[in-house]
Amino acid sequence: MKTDALIAALATDARPQAGLGARLLRGLPLAVALSALALLLVWSLRADLLAALTSPALVKTLAPAALGLSALGLARGLSAPLPRAGVPALLVGALGLTALAAVLWGVATGGLGALTMHAEKPTLLTCIVSIPLLSALPLAAILWAMRHGAPASPLAAGAAGGLAAGALGAMVYSLHCPEDAVLFFIPAYGTMILVMTALGALLGARLLRW
Amino acid sequence: MRAANRGDQRAYARLLGAITPVVRGIVRARGGTLGAEGCEDVVQEVLLTIHLKRQTWHEDVPLRPWLYAVTRHKVIDAFRARGQRIHLPVEDFVDVLAAPEAADPFEAQDMARVIDRLEPRAAEIVRAIGISGESAAETGARLGMSEGAVRVALHRALRSLARLRERMIE
Repeated sequence: MKTDALIAALATDARPQAGLGARLLRGLPLAVALSALALLLVWSLRADLLAALTSPALVKTLAPAALGLSALGLARGLSAPLPRAGVPALLVGALGLTALAAVLWGVATGGLGALTMHAEKPTLLTCIVSIPLLSALPLAAILWAMRHGAPASPLAAGAAGGLAAGALGAMVYSLHCPEDAVLFFIPAYGTMILVMTALGALLGARLLRW
Repeated sequence: MRAANRGDQRAYARLLGAITPVVRGIVRARGGTLGAEGCEDVVQEVLLTIHLKRQTWHEDVPLRPWLYAVTRHKVIDAFRARGQRIHLPVEDFVDVLAAPEAADPFEAQDMARVIDRLEPRAAEIVRAIGISGESAAETGARLGMSEGAVRVALHRALRSLARLRERMIE
């Protein structure tokens, strides 16, 4: 086939294409809604949800939501041949450092016992199993949208996608989770979000090549 | 490219026409061992990628660095994939073989082979629009499809081409 012929065929296909943002909007809200529905049917909402959402425990839902949105921005920025991280990377970094500082401050004032005390709770196991399950659909929707991108580093872009999925999964799970202690939810949620980040990186390196 | 991303066919064809020599220059500079035809295969691969990934270019930055990044990525990819294949430069056989008719250097082999692997109707559409130079409306009239349906089929066919090429090379 001649190159001129190929150009003619390509030019005929010049319809405007949906960008990554538009594709994310197409699949991700549905995925998050389905995860929330699953939580409602299988896990059930926490009994005192309304009280919790009007108390400082609201941060348990808001912080993962903010992290999820920032990570989505990061995933979008990393999905181009010339990546740009910029503001979303700063937001992700700031949220991560704030969480770390909160845990350190909690340990510094309450002692290490305050942290290990939570490790014996049975809700920890529920949390560890639930967040990846609730993140699975969002991760699929994010990677599906990202397959239309062209990331300079599929591994890094996949990690950002996994981070976003893990954070959104944690946000959904927080509507069930009865534990409001900072030293419970930051280490538990944080660890599972990092697990999803690693999974996203692994999948991204395979699925996002172009 | 800005006009092209809004669906202006003629502007897009002009742009691709202007880009091609640049891409060809980069590919030839990097891959002299592939021969003219092999280089043209890579050039076509790069053009197909530019086409399918064009929405990853942000309109507020210059096009050229994006273009180079995509080309570099695909060229490295293509040469890595072909590194495994045995390549015998035809020059070594000049004394043995009768001098072949000079092939049109812009005629590449790989793409034709991949098009053969598409399902028949998709292959027909790509050939009609590319090689015979038909418009989407003409092809549609001949095949009994609406112009829109031809465009959708063409778009799907181009995406399959990219997928099939990747599989063929691996």
